[in-house]
Amino acid sequence: MNKFTIAIIEDEKNISGFIESTLQRHDYKVISAVNGKDGLAMISSNCPDVILLDLGLPDIDGLDIIKNVRSWSAIPIIVISARTQEQEKVTALDYGADDYITKPFGTSELLARIRTALRHGKSTVSTVDGSVVQTPYQCKGLIIDFTKRLVTLNEHVVHLTQIEYKLVSLLAENSGKVLTYDYMINHIWGPYADSNNQILRVNMAHIRRKIEINPGEPNYIFTEIGVGYRMRESEY
Amino acid sequence: MKKTMSKKELVWNILVTILALTGATIVSYLLVFVGGHTANVSIVYMMAVVLISRFSNGYIPGVIASFISVICVNLVFTYPFMHLNFTLDGYPITFIALMVISSITSATTTHLKYQNKIIHEREKLLMEAEKEAMRANLLRAISHDLRTPLTGIIGASNSFLDDHNSMSEEEKAILVNGIREDANWLLNMVENLLTVTRIRGTKAHIAKSLEPVEEVASEAVMRFHKRFPDSRVKVTVPEDLVMVPMDATLIEQVIINLLENAVYHSTSKDPVSLTISIENRNARFDIRDHGIGIAPDRLSTIFDGYTSSPNSSGDSHKGMGIGLSICKTIITAHNGTITAGNESLGAIFTFTLPLGENTCE
Repeated sequence: MNKFTIAIIEDEKNISGFIESTLQRHDYKVISAVNGKDGLAMISSNCPDVILLDLGLPDIDGLDIIKNVRSWSAIPIIVISARTQEQEKVTALDYGADDYITKPFGTSELLARIRTALRHGKSTVSTVDGSVVQTPYQCKGLIIDFTKRLVTLNEHVVHLTQIEYKLVSLLAENSGKVLTYDYMINHIWGPYADSNNQILRVNMAHIRRKIEINPGEPNYIFTEIGVGYRMRESEY
Repeated sequence: MKKTMSKKELVWNILVTILALTGATIVSYLLVFVGGHTANVSIVYMMAVVLISRFSNGYIPGVIASFISVICVNLVFTYPFMHLNFTLDGYPITFIALMVISSITSATTTHLKYQNKIIHEREKLLMEAEKEAMRANLLRAISHDLRTPLTGIIGASNSFLDDHNSMSEEEKAILVNGIREDANWLLNMVENLLTVTRIRGTKAHIAKSLEPVEEVASEAVMRFHKRFPDSRVKVTVPEDLVMVPMDATLIEQVIINLLENAVYHSTSKDPVSLTISIENRNARFDIRDHGIGIAPDRLSTIFDGYTSSPNSSGDSHKGMGIGLSICKTIITAHNGTITAGNESLGAIFTFTLPLGENTCE
């Protein structure tokens, strides 16, 4: 079987060691570097499938590495970052990182992020009549059928407004991945929309009341305060 | 104290003097040549001199101003106009009076300024000393609180490395679990310390933004669940969307600390409830457990931190540590209130955050 290659750029031996052993146990091929220079060389010679990048490297600013890699490749980059640095995360995402994971993280969280990063683009499925359509989002009783534009929760149709449907389907198409406020606003309201994210927060609150049983304990759409929203990974 | 006048002060003094005198001259001109009264000219100049003495630094501007004033009054506004006449009745009295007034005003204001400066410096010193004391207390509390879990981690890992051959799988699991628990506790402590560095003294330094309370609460509970997967929390949020100005990271930390507190100290497995409601232009957060409650003698000092009574000082998990005092600091910095109390069954912690303008949908 052809294994996926994961590159780790992390200067802390203990952390990269723990990530390495976890990933190897889950059948990934792992290559690692302890500084930015070696990391860049490693990426360009090996072309890994996913890059795990710590932003605080001794030699090169992690953001410069993102810029450098993005100038020639679309390899998914997952940033490893500490909590309480929302601004840093948002900047990294703006620079082209695909996602981030907050230290300290558990094994399952890390594996989920890597799975999401490996799942490029919209997945498709063939229907009975032979046409190829986008795979529906499905998770714990919530189903979003993108072709019919239909959202059902435990077999009951959920009535969403146009904007609300657009938001939910945007999150669902990128399920498992964090989407920043700015990204979502640009996508739904266009590039000239007010950068104030209040309208987004209000719409998200409406959606929460329609698809979550208890808006205080969401099941499907999670908030990453100061950064954006993340929808639970689709089961398919 | 005014040995050398700085360039800036000199310019300022000259500016004040010229402005005030010009003003006085214009007013006097209007009084004399438009209104026809000469009686109040001296008063107007006197006023200018007082103002100059008040707003300039040192005695010199006032004295110079009073000298110029006297000449002006004499030359321009007293008959014969445009002639100096020192033989006028009462002239020396006007001159001396102006001189004395300016000197006294200058002396008083200079003195006042000097005293203000001293008071200010003293306050600053006092505040610094207070901060230093707080820092020392905090450091003491932290070092004390850090030692216990670290001892646990080192001990458990040592015994694992030494005896892992003779241990049963179950024993190993217990040891590693203990390490994990202690490490998680340490992590929360460090997050607490980081939040303190976010506050830095006064409330003006908190970066507040409008956040929906339900998002903050759900994120806090999610992070809490990562650490305590087995403990249950019942969250209730208001029907309507409520946005409250706050530093979300800090408020999350408060919620997590209070939940952790409930888990460690209630000695009950019943779910903790987190209820958010709106009350008198405040968002009210209630964290309620169904355990043993809080000892009445601790209620009054519970938020003061590092008050672990002597008999419980051995185990920092049982002492309240600094978590609650950090909660209080954070809530106070948000202009909110935080209280603790006992219900019929279990303890309840309540904090409120003021709603800003137009925060309800």
